[in-house]
Amino acid sequence: MDRGLYVAMTGAKQIMQAQAVNNHNIANSSTTGFRADGVAFTSEPIYGPGYATRVNAVAGDAGTDFSSGVMMSTSSPLDIAVNGKGFIAVRGADGQEAYTRAGDLRVTALGAVMTSTGFPVMSESGPLTVPPSTQVTIGTDGTVSVVPLGLSAAAQSQVDRIKLVNPSTKDLQKGADGLLRLKGGGKAKTDETVTVTSGELESSNVNAAQSLVNMIELQRLYELQIKSIKSTDDNEQAAQRMMAP
Amino acid sequence: MNLALWAAKTGLDAQNTQMSVIANNLANTNTTGFKSDRAAFQDLMYQNVQQVGAQSTQNTQYATGLTLGTGVRIAATEKNYAQGSVLQTSGNLDMSITGLGFFQITMPDGTTSYTRDGSFSMDSQGNVVTASGYPISPAITIPANVQSLSVGTDGTVSVTTAGSTKPTTIGQIQLASFINVQGLQPTGNNLLTESASSGAPQVGTPGTGGLGTLAAGSLETSNVNTVTELVNMIQCQRAYEMNSKAISTTDQMLQYLTQNV
Repeated sequence: MDRGLYVAMTGAKQIMQAQAVNNHNIANSSTTGFRADGVAFTSEPIYGPGYATRVNAVAGDAGTDFSSGVMMSTSSPLDIAVNGKGFIAVRGADGQEAYTRAGDLRVTALGAVMTSTGFPVMSESGPLTVPPSTQVTIGTDGTVSVVPLGLSAAAQSQVDRIKLVNPSTKDLQKGADGLLRLKGGGKAKTDETVTVTSGELESSNVNAAQSLVNMIELQRLYELQIKSIKSTDDNEQAAQRMMAP
Repeated sequence: MNLALWAAKTGLDAQNTQMSVIANNLANTNTTGFKSDRAAFQDLMYQNVQQVGAQSTQNTQYATGLTLGTGVRIAATEKNYAQGSVLQTSGNLDMSITGLGFFQITMPDGTTSYTRDGSFSMDSQGNVVTASGYPISPAITIPANVQSLSVGTDGTVSVTTAGSTKPTTIGQIQLASFINVQGLQPTGNNLLTESASSGAPQVGTPGTGGLGTLAAGSLETSNVNTVTELVNMIQCQRAYEMNSKAISTTDQMLQYLTQNV
């Protein structure tokens, strides 16, 4: 059997996976604080007896696009958007600290501050909680202040501060739950220079035009691989016809 | 099946749900005391096809991994409890809350529901009831020979009866507040009910303990911002189109495969 067939097959399979990543980005064009994923192909020579005559293409992560999304005004005091660089620290389902740009927060009946996706928001000392209160305000440096339940607005008191970090984006990796974590594990240090704006949310940073162009390109590349499979098949058939008695 | 197809399909589903939320908001632009909803999108779990840093041989590691996202879902709908505008009416049992709090309503099954809709009226027995006929809690009954009725900013209801010059207090409206208003369960008819995530209601006199004050002769309008909703609708439509384009492209790729091989 012609080995070229398998090279083209691998190419087609990997391009379909890249298309899945692109479609995932498109599906998340409305997800608050979503960061687009990239795909890069690497060449993997096939070593065997003699020379490595064939090279397979293998799809891999090209990291995450950390450019900012668009700020959307929501007027809800519990919505925060990170200005410029930086991330909000949350606790993932695995109990480890993770980072996100999605700042649509809410307060549970027990006073825990959570993201709308259900991850507890962290302060410097642990998960952030607020006492029973009627009004929660978040300052630009992440300071949370509340009006305790049953008291007037004059009784406003400062509670804690949301942990805001700014690790190098090179060290961050997206986990299976969509949260970002440090590649080597561990926690990032609090960064005093990171600021947030209350009453705003950051949109997804998926670039619609770029995603659509990527989609077309991947489609045509896929067709090229299929064409290559077809040609190999044609060659094989021609050879068989000539050899036929 | 093909992941590329399914990821795009989840996008269509989520945008479709968002469109329902937007349509419901737009349908309720004239509903008294209505609070707008927002769909919260969340990316679905990622598949780890190739772990980054895994050993490719005993001495070497894979420099890159491959994680495939599986799409998106609507994680929650959140209500925006921002104050709506106040509309002046002439009804003496119309009232709006300026600030925090909800009116308490006794349901036919004896449970309590909560509402921001202050368009009350009187039934045949003189009870103060909502437009659906459910009585306000604590119950207020207006005597038969009333000449004028007034509701104070602190919720005191007083009446002047025929043959009397002095007004008499016949009831006190109380408001309820919650630790997590987002956790209230909307049940229709402008009503909300307590849930495990909202916490227990804290009842008090209007104007005290951080609760809002009452304004008689006015109603709180819906807080739906039609401009925001229309912009959201355009965005939703384009995102829907993009996802459907992604499905048709993936379909064409598979079609090309089956036709040529």
